Formats: sequence, C-alpha cells, structure tokens
Amino acid sequence: MLERFRGKLPSGVLSRRDLLRLSAAGVVGGSASGWLEGLAAQTAGHPARRRSCILLWMSGGPSQLETFDPKPDHENGGPVKAIETSVQGIRVSEYLPRLARSMDDMAIVRSMNTKEGDHTRATYMMRTGYLPQGPVHYPTLGSLLSKKLGQGDAELPNFVSIAPFKAISPGAFEAGFLGPQFAPLDVGQGQFPGGPPAPDDAARQLQVDNLGRPGDVTGEQFNARLALLSDLERGFSGGHPGGPPQSHQAAYEQAVRMMRGDARTAFQLEAEPPALRDAYGRNGFGQGCLLARRLIERGVPFVEVSLNSVAGNQFFGWDTHANNFESVKRLTEVLDPGWATLMSDLKARGLLDSTLIVWMGEFGRTPRINGNQGRDHYPAAWSSVLAGGGIRGGQVVGRTGADGMRVEERPVAVADLLATVCLSLGIDPMEQNMSNVGRPIRIVSPDAKPIRELLA
Amino acid sequence: MRVHWRLPVVCLVLNMAFAPGARAQQVAPDDVQTLADAIDRFIAARWNEGGVQPAPAANDEEFLRRAYLDVAGRIPMVSEARKFLDDPAPNKRRALVDRLVDGPAYVRHFTNVWRKVLLSEAENSFQVRFLVPGFEAWLTKQLAERVPYDRMVRELLTAPRDRQQLFNNPGQAEPAPGAFYEAKEQKPENLGAATARLFLGLRVECAQCHDHPFGHWKREDFWRNAAFFSASEARAEQGAFDALREAFDRAELDIPGTEQVVEARFLDGAAPEWRFRVAPRQLLADWITSRDNPYFARAAVNRMWAWFFGTGLVDPPDDFDVHNPPSHPELLDELARQFAAHDYDVRFVIRAIAASRAYQLKSTLTHPSQEDPRVFARMSPRGLSGEQLFDSLVLATGYREPPGNRNPFDFYGNSPRREFLTRFADQVEGPTQWQTSILQALTLMNGQLTSDATSLDRSEILVAVAECPLLDTTGRIETLFLAALSRRPRPEETERLAAYVESGGPHHNATAALADVFWALLNSSEFLFNH
Repeated sequence: MLERFRGKLPSGVLSRRDLLRLSAAGVVGGSASGWLEGLAAQTAGHPARRRSCILLWMSGGPSQLETFDPKPDHENGGPVKAIETSVQGIRVSEYLPRLARSMDDMAIVRSMNTKEGDHTRATYMMRTGYLPQGPVHYPTLGSLLSKKLGQGDAELPNFVSIAPFKAISPGAFEAGFLGPQFAPLDVGQGQFPGGPPAPDDAARQLQVDNLGRPGDVTGEQFNARLALLSDLERGFSGGHPGGPPQSHQAAYEQAVRMMRGDARTAFQLEAEPPALRDAYGRNGFGQGCLLARRLIERGVPFVEVSLNSVAGNQFFGWDTHANNFESVKRLTEVLDPGWATLMSDLKARGLLDSTLIVWMGEFGRTPRINGNQGRDHYPAAWSSVLAGGGIRGGQVVGRTGADGMRVEERPVAVADLLATVCLSLGIDPMEQNMSNVGRPIRIVSPDAKPIRELLA
Repeated sequence: MRVHWRLPVVCLVLNMAFAPGARAQQVAPDDVQTLADAIDRFIAARWNEGGVQPAPAANDEEFLRRAYLDVAGRIPMVSEARKFLDDPAPNKRRALVDRLVDGPAYVRHFTNVWRKVLLSEAENSFQVRFLVPGFEAWLTKQLAERVPYDRMVRELLTAPRDRQQLFNNPGQAEPAPGAFYEAKEQKPENLGAATARLFLGLRVECAQCHDHPFGHWKREDFWRNAAFFSASEARAEQGAFDALREAFDRAELDIPGTEQVVEARFLDGAAPEWRFRVAPRQLLADWITSRDNPYFARAAVNRMWAWFFGTGLVDPPDDFDVHNPPSHPELLDELARQFAAHDYDVRFVIRAIAASRAYQLKSTLTHPSQEDPRVFARMSPRGLSGEQLFDSLVLATGYREPPGNRNPFDFYGNSPRREFLTRFADQVEGPTQWQTSILQALTLMNGQLTSDATSLDRSEILVAVAECPLLDTTGRIETLFLAALSRRPRPEETERLAAYVESGGPHHNATAALADVFWALLNSSEFLFNH
C-alpha cells in the first residue's frame, strides 16, 4: 500500500491527497471516530470471536402490515390476523408462524422512517447508507463490512451475494470506491418475473459462474495450461514488478485455489440431508439460506440472500401494488420456513451467537389499501428486523400509530440502522475509507444515532 | 526507392504552377514533432534534476500494441501487426498513429471514452443508461466531424434541456446532448459542480454545504456557479414532462435551506455581463471556453495526458488545486498553449504525445528511479477498459458475436458483451492500479469466450491455424502470438512451446496442445494489460 505514496512533490512535502490517505489509513493523526469509538470497543465482545453477518434482502419493499407490524383492529390491516409469538406482548402477522417461535432471538424495528420511495434510489440508499451523489461510487454494505470482518488469505471470498437482482439499482450491489477486491462473489442470478426455477433446479442455479472447468477440459489439461501460463507470467512479471500484474497473479492463484479446494464443496448442497433441504424450502430463497449457512460455517463473514420472486407472482419481489394479500402470502410461504430454519440451523451448530441477521427491503408499503387490493411504496413508516448475535432479541423498537400511517415513537433512519449493525459486529461505523473523489467517507453517515437498546 | 532524374524538375515546375507568388516552397513546420520534442525536453529536465534513469525505448511490437489500444481501443489484427512489423519505413510509427487517428476506430473508442467521462451516472442508473445511445450519437458526430473541443463544450453547455424530446427519441437514434443535463437530474447544484470538474478540473462539491476546507471556495461561490443552471419548472399536463424554463438573461437561484437568493457569478468572482436575450448558459460557456480561462485548456490536455500515460500531470485529473500542483508545470502550460493555438484539436495533441520519446518508453522497470509514475521514466502498465478487453478478445479469438450483442438497451446483462462489461467495469482507482478479481480470473480461465476460442470443435481460428498447410509448428505458434500479444515469440519461447506442441501435451494431440498455448496467451498479464 505505501508504494502509492511515492508520488511526492519534489520538495518532499506530501500533497493534501496523500495526507488524507495516510490519515484514513491510520498512519498519520488520530482516528476521527469520536464517541462512537468507545461504544464500538464495548460491543466488540471477545476479540477472538469472529463475527459474521447475513443480509436477507427483500427486493421490492415488503409490506410491514402483513409481516412484522400487523394492524388487525384497523381497516388498514386488511384481512390478515395477528398471532402470538414466543415473546409475550409481541405479535406478528399470521403469515409468519415459524418465525414467531424464534422471536427471542429477533428484534423488530417498527419505526423505519426514510424518505425515498423510488426503487432505484431507495435500494441504493438502504444498501450503501447514502443517496446516489454524482461521481461518488458508494460501496454496498457487504463490501464495507466484509472489509473489516474478513481475513486476507481465506480460501473463500469474504463477501458472497446469493441471487442478487442488480438490474433495479446496479450501483447498489458493488464495492464502489473500495475496489474490486471487496466486490461480492455473485452466486446464481436474481430472477425477474417468470418465477423461480423449478425446485430441483434451485441448487444448480446457486453455483459460482465459471468455477468449474469447461466440460471438454480435463484436470490434466488444465494443469498443463496453468504451467504454460506460469512460464509466460514469470517472463513478464520479472520486468514488471508489483502493480496490475501482481494483482492479476494473486487473483488467479485465489481463483485456482477456489476451483481446487474445499471451497468448491461449499456450494454442493446435495451433501445436505434431504429433510433439512425440505425444511429450508425447495426454492431459490430457501436453498440460498442453506448455502448461506454453509458459507458462514466455512468462515465467510458476509453473505447476502435476495428474495426476488416466488412462483405464482407476476411482478418484482415484494412490490405488491396489486393483489397484495395473496401475493404476500406466497412470499411469506417462502420466507418463513427459509429464515426460521436458517436461524434454528445456525443455533443448533452454535453459530447464531456470532452471526447477525439483517432483514430489510428498500421501503415498506402503504397502510391504506389501493383500488387493486394492493399496497404502494411507503417509506414513512415501515419495519426491519435484526436477529441473532450481537443484539438483544425479544424486543420491539419504535411504534407506528393505530392506522400505521406515521411513526409515533423512535423514528429510525437508514444511518441509525446501519450504525447499529456495525456496532453489533464490533465495527466502528465512523471509520473512514478514501473515496474516488479524494474525500474520505465514513462507513456510516456521521449523523447516525445507533439504537443502543438493541446492542447486546 | 530510385528517384527519376526528372523528378526534381517536375516538382519545381509544379510548385511554381500551384504556389502563386511563392518563389520557393517553405517546408511546413512539423508542429506535431515540435510539440513532441517540447514534451521530451520538459520530461528529461525533471529526470536530470532527480537523477532519474529512464527505461529504454519500446520496440516496434510494444509500440504497435500500445498505440492501437490507446488510439483505436483494440489490439491490432494479425494482418495489421505483420504489416507494421515488417514495414522498413523509418517514420512508420508516426504514420501508424496518423492512420489510426483518422480512422473509424478512433471515433468509436473515443465516443466511449468521452461518454464515460461526461455521463458517468449511466453506471448506476437505468434512466441514464437509456439515454446513452442518444448521447453517444451526439459524441460520434462531434468526433467524426472533427469539431474542435472548445466548440464541442460550448455546444454541450448550451444544448436545449427539452426533456420531452429527450425521451421521445425513438431508439435514441438522434444526437441528444441534453442527456448530460438529465444525467445530473437537471439540478443546478449537480450541473454546476459537474461542469466545473469536467471542463475546468475544479472540485467544488464540498462547498455545497460548507466552506471548502482546503480550497478557497465558499458556499456562496458554489451556489452562484450553480445559478447558471437554474430553471423553473412549468407544470405540464398529465403524462408529459414538466417543461424547464430558464431565465432569458439574468440568472438567480434560491440556496436550499436558506432565505438567500444569489445571482449567478463565475467561479473567479467576476459578474457576468448580462445581455437581453443572451441565455445565462451561453455566458457561462463563453467564460469556460475563453482563451483567458487558465483552466480550460490545461484541464483538457491533462486529461489527454492521463489517457495515454495512466497518470495526469495533475493527478487526480479533476482536482486542479494549490495543494495538488502539476508534476511538470511548464509542460502543462506548453501543451495547453499549443492545444489552443491549434484550434483545440484533440487529435493534434494525441499525435504529439504519441510521437514523444516519453510515450515510447518500455514499461519494464530497469531502475528503481522509474518507480514513481509521476516522473514518467517508464510507461506504467495499465488495465484495459471492459470495452477494450472485450473488443480485443473478439479480435484475437475470431469470436462471432450473437445478434443483439451490442444492443444498447440490454439492461439485464443478458448479452455476452454486457455481462463482460459488467464483470470488467472501470475501476475507480484508475487503470494503473488495476485489481483483478476472482470472478474476472474465473471468467477468463473458464468462461464462454475463452473456452470457445480454445476448443477443438468450436474455435475457427484454432482450426485455421492448426490446419493451415503453409504453417509449420513454429509458424502456428507465431500466428497465435501475433493474434493475442501482437508480437513474435522470442527464440526461447518458440523452442519451449514448439517442443510442447509437438509432444502433444497430456492428450498427445498437437492441436489440443496448440489450444493450450492459446489459452495461456489469452490468460496472460501480457494480454490483459496495456504495457
């Protein structure tokens, strides 16, 4: 890294840009995190314990009224009833029976209050913590967090994204100014209308592109090719030390390691008992959650699983502008078993305590039901959920009114939520990264007010 | 070449016939060479100051590939490579660059390059991506018609902001410079900041909310600059776009979140000379592109320098600031002066850069003093853009693109080209700091393009090379090297690889072994980088 600082002025004075870079790298001057730094240190827990995070991304904006903030006593609540959970006093929609039993490990934030109602911008904002702003390429949450949580020499990449549907907001799924070494490894393609693949295809879809040799290339031949390549590279890198050729070789080495090593087996879902695969649900999301558990087990610190479509729904994800109730029912029939099994599976393996699960979409849906029995975009009052390790489960943060239209208590902005996520993982949200416009940018916006009640 | 003895007489006669009034023809000064020499003088001066030892000169093979990639956006075809390498003419490098700069590949490549500079929002937004073809149509026209740079910028700055027209452009086929405004969301603050950064190399964004911590921009300066782009929206009927109405002359803006209204003023503090019915943007365009504006030409030539060397004389190139001085201030000044003197002809500057000794240095590191990219003592290895890489791979492998591969409205990344461009997107740190990702490595090793090019059934080029009766093993290897790396193999490479091919590799099949050699070439750093 320090080679970059050779571009000094003739007089030996560091340019302003160098100063900022050195400062961001912690080499010059002190950390600028202030009071949150102390909080981060407290919540880090035992330093040796490696933490992981799973983001369950609900494309389209899930309705809070049919999930975590039911209003059965108001006409806005529609026909959906509320059910008791394993925590007294907390009720959720009847569509989530299995999750209801895991409420001790979950904390619901009912007072999400953001301002973006456009899919592209809201997705970007929720996934990066910032609104799209001119030339700055903000990194997605997975890149920001895996940079802090990950190990440099791991066999598997530190950030895996399962079935992302990027088209709706292409900038929101990338490493941005952090650079491609923090880019996600994408597994499977996010589906758009037309439903998910048939059940037995779900596993085949969840593969890393190009991880396997082409069918007509044998192992021997592949090794021979690598040997030829190695000769060519030796010749070239001798005269060109460092820089792009060095990164090229490192990436190839890692890629080959992934091709050959245990890493490949991570994606072999057939190794799991059929009964467990059934419990997760034989669909893209369910099997994606299973894959996430396998990756977490193997030390991948950040995995995201997107729920973009289910059989029978004709539109994008949770974007239920029409026929809301039936559509959400189909979505929750996939969500409930998948997520609940993920949590119980992680718990059974002793991993839940060190794994934070974040559940959210880009916004919620209108409490008032529209003319098509649907709900439209609604960022003013909606729900997100944090579960697992690093947070105190079994509670609700914030409250919406009887009609669900407004947040009445403890409004939570995106920065507040993301700062809470950072702290529960032992990461200082005020830490800076150098952006592509020469300005250092904090992981989370400095006006964040983390939800202290949630931190363990 | 034998000169006929009559030739000089004929020349003189013709000369007298076609040059009325001129007794003897003056040799036109070679301005390109003059500027190239100036570049080298200034670069060498700094070497001498710092005791820097420059790398040796690049050989023909290295120059060939580099020039094609930088000017035409792709590697040369085998036939083009052979032609250049076997040409004995002493001035062939100049001639090559002249040819490339005047060709269609230049227009295609630089349409891409300028679009990425001017419409960078397309990476993150569907709406903007939709407008890319219309914007590129405008850029192509500017480049093909050799519109001087200052006129191109003036046209852009005074383009109509008719949103209805922008979206009612079937197939986005009509030139649409207005996309620039739409990409910045029509917001004055975005437009003011973008135009300052792109055309003057000035970063004023920080001052949007507070006084700039390092520079001297105050918040008010930012908003006064933005005011040139203020427009009021007139509500349109259902379904149509709101029309934007701009002031006829004097432009003003309300600073959001305050009660303050500011009148437009240039960034140097001068007040515009408002004239009736002369649009504010016209005045701004005149000020930006004025010969008296110290930043306009400098920012432009600095950008060109960064394209060809990977690092600008001012680096980063859009941050001209007292705290970020140029590495070679007199060189920057001279380039700017000559650019303006030659009618803001971008091709002229490119030709001069390519003719300089500095551009034609090897990229190998032969002395530690060459490590600092800002002394330009060797050419820094640079990553290729996704377009350069894909187009080069297509050429090297003879890959036949499926129909619709270049469909500009392919948003879901379904075509091989679109997938490739996403996988190999431009990196924010710039090409000299290129980082290869695991997915990129996997794509190059096992992906469709490579596997088709190296498969015995599917690769036309491989079959052609393997079965050509005029080639022996050495010849076959040479052809693959020329196709992928634009050079002939060195004797030790030929020896080693010919032995491998003739042994047949693990499958005892010479063609399969040839495919292995081709695979290695396509996955090498030498192929993947511009060096």
